[in-house]
Amino acid sequence: MSISRRDFLKASALTTAATIIGVESLVDNKIFAAALQEGIVWHKSVCRFCGVGCGVMLGVKDGKPLGIKGDKENTINAGLLCVKGFYLHKVITAKNRLLYPLIRKNGKLERASWDEALNLVAGKFKEILEKNGPDALAYYGSGQAETEESYLAGKLFRGFIGTNNVDGNPRLCMASAAGGYISTFGADEPIGTYDDIDYCDLFLLVGTNTAEAHPVIFDRLVNRKKKSPNCKIIIIDPRKTPTNKIADLHIMVKPGYDLAVLHAIARLLIKDGYADEQFIKDSVVFSNGKDPISYDDYKKFLEKYTPEYAAEQAEVQAEDIIKIAKMFGESPTAMSMWTMGVNQRTAGVFLNNLIHNIHLLTGKLGKPGCDSFSLTGQPNACGGVREGGTLTQLLPGHRSVGNEQHRKEVAAIWKIAPDKIQPKVGKHAVAMFEAAAKGEIKGLYVLCTNPAQSLPNLNKYIQGMKDAFLVVNESFFPTETAKIADVVFPVAFWGEKEGVYGCTERRSQYMAKALEPAGEAKWDGEVIIEIAKRMGYAEGFQYLKTPEDVWNEYLKFTAGKDMDLSGATYDRLKKLRGLRWPVPNTNHPGTWHRFTKEDPFFPKDKAGDKRMYFYAKPEGKAVIFARPNKGPEEPTSTEYPIALTTGRILEQWHTMTMTGQIPELLRANPNPYVEINPKDAQSWNIQNKDKVKVSTKRGSLVMNAKVIDRPRRGTVFIPWHWPESLTNILTNDAVDAVSKEPEYKVAACKIEKA
Amino acid sequence: MKIKIYSIVFITVAVTFFLGFTNSNVHSSSSKLLGDKHPDVDWTIGCVDCHQETTPEIFTAWSNSKHGTSGFGCYICHGDGQEVFYKKGQDNTCLGCHSEKEVNYKNLKVKSCFDCHNGHTLKFHNKGE
Repeated sequence: MSISRRDFLKASALTTAATIIGVESLVDNKIFAAALQEGIVWHKSVCRFCGVGCGVMLGVKDGKPLGIKGDKENTINAGLLCVKGFYLHKVITAKNRLLYPLIRKNGKLERASWDEALNLVAGKFKEILEKNGPDALAYYGSGQAETEESYLAGKLFRGFIGTNNVDGNPRLCMASAAGGYISTFGADEPIGTYDDIDYCDLFLLVGTNTAEAHPVIFDRLVNRKKKSPNCKIIIIDPRKTPTNKIADLHIMVKPGYDLAVLHAIARLLIKDGYADEQFIKDSVVFSNGKDPISYDDYKKFLEKYTPEYAAEQAEVQAEDIIKIAKMFGESPTAMSMWTMGVNQRTAGVFLNNLIHNIHLLTGKLGKPGCDSFSLTGQPNACGGVREGGTLTQLLPGHRSVGNEQHRKEVAAIWKIAPDKIQPKVGKHAVAMFEAAAKGEIKGLYVLCTNPAQSLPNLNKYIQGMKDAFLVVNESFFPTETAKIADVVFPVAFWGEKEGVYGCTERRSQYMAKALEPAGEAKWDGEVIIEIAKRMGYAEGFQYLKTPEDVWNEYLKFTAGKDMDLSGATYDRLKKLRGLRWPVPNTNHPGTWHRFTKEDPFFPKDKAGDKRMYFYAKPEGKAVIFARPNKGPEEPTSTEYPIALTTGRILEQWHTMTMTGQIPELLRANPNPYVEINPKDAQSWNIQNKDKVKVSTKRGSLVMNAKVIDRPRRGTVFIPWHWPESLTNILTNDAVDAVSKEPEYKVAACKIEKA
Repeated sequence: MKIKIYSIVFITVAVTFFLGFTNSNVHSSSSKLLGDKHPDVDWTIGCVDCHQETTPEIFTAWSNSKHGTSGFGCYICHGDGQEVFYKKGQDNTCLGCHSEKEVNYKNLKVKSCFDCHNGHTLKFHNKGE
């Protein structure tokens, strides 16, 4: 908003007069508010926290962050923010900002110059490369890094150093969702968008505490339910959460035993006539995971999954499963949403497939109000990592390491020899840190993440990280990882650099640089480019002067691909509130539903009359999978009789490097705790606030008991945020066979009074 | 001279009208509640743990409100209690999250979000008080 000096003076005079004569001012407060904000510039950006992608406006005056407000022009949140986003500007000036480079000398991290730190890293990486080969080096990135940063790191490690040891923390949260989308539909990321929420009559929430983990989406669900009284919400989760306040039906499944429930729902949908037979005929094939099977084979496979059988498996009521199937079948529209309760499982990809199955069976896809929609945990896991190609098996632009043609395409843009990119997939996250623990990986570059707190079964991996030459790009200090690093680069935080984030709904959004970086901090991209230059790879990096240069090079990888971002130039993104790919040219508005006539790549000639054509699959057909009913890797036992599940709370985010700096957020839950069902607490003789010791095969922690009617009986829940109580000492590092995502959500534990 | 007059007018306005747009680091200079302190309590527990016992009516009103439904706690309006404490919620804290609800007070007698919305139930026109 701008006002003229004339308006301002007029208003000022009027107010002064009104004050003098003692009457209530009738002048426009807006003008005064704006006047007071003279010199404040509001910069359009995207929230730094979860994957929802809320638009925010960062107010800056005299080079300092003054405030934050929701961006009301942004259709994702329409001005609304959650409690984390609300305090985002305070994180910029938090006391724990790292202001200068650190190098470990004589066992201690000491202040160093940029030159010294960069030369040390480049020299050490080069030495490891020459002595031990490229696979002795690894990059571990983040779904919080900007796309430009992730892209640059992938380019350096794959294209110039020559290793596919390129992975990141989305392996720990979204890899199973990506695996599910790719195996079922042939391409990663959802078919629909948030817009579908506003048309949906039935939400199936599986393993998601939407109210706390994605509050702005929760608000959209609340609004939808308010507007449409017939709208129903079903929850499948082992725990009651604040999301339950809007639920119509909740089944509290035993952790790790919900696959049978999804199969039972699929069986009932077919049996009770809710299947869309024409859609199945047009757009679906069936598979047992190895070979194609027929529709009849699939029906035979499902016969075992009666509601009673599934109920026995999951320890829920059969009639509730019948109700869910009926509600899903009868509802004209339906959206499923899920997060870590589905993904962080050794059956994570299977469970993703089974959710997709019920949408494919009923044709509830690719039309307003219908989608099988994964909620993303981090703000740029979709954009920078899944699209930018920084998971070990991926190359930029939804390409695969294993595909020779894809490697050639990438090599051509990077102007490197085609065989420079290895054809073999590198180490995924857990394997990468396992290799460091074994001494096989000797140099590790960690960017914008905190694996020394976030990896599962932490005790197994910390020493390996200490032994390796560990380099960390961080905005904050200390973090658990930075504390054990050999070199820590201070990097610009959100608001101090420009770049692009790609959120849950395929939307890429530009974030402005509003401030100069704190202290000596630099843009992560500049750090990567400097390391590359000092390692002798200047020709591949020195022409990339700005984030926009990097983005423009990255766009070349997307041209003609299912995730075409050619029309999402910086110029456009600066003006718009993001664009949802495919957006193949600068006149294109972006796409609501993929694989339908709305999609610019929809092949009308091949599709004929079919409503959906999954062009990333050979026959244009999505796959319904008859997946085995896999349980958790670590079932409860006589020694460890209680199921342990871990997760998030509203006020904190991941390892608390950001939200842990905000006193207001800390006040909500100042200390680590374990949630215990009141009936269990009674039988275990535990009172609220008692100190208890929680133990798994991997370790023990002492914390407060929070006796609360949330977890189902026989299950306890621990939030994983507090660095002083590392929950991941307890969690299991067994991984999904396909996605390699660890099973944070289910372990076996025991509890005793401390 | 003109600049000096403009400055005086500006300062007068600044004192008279609080910047009510955002979750800003700028606090209301006119609020007489700023100096109030939260009683010294057991700071190792969360607000709700204590207030559901000490102020059950307020807790229930909040719990049933949209803020309570979403779990947006006391701290969002009242601060953490130790470093920051507002006895009464402030418009700037509302508008940080609800910028779409910004009101033009020009033709209104009310001057604050809380003139219409009950602070705990959040009901419009203070219904349910």
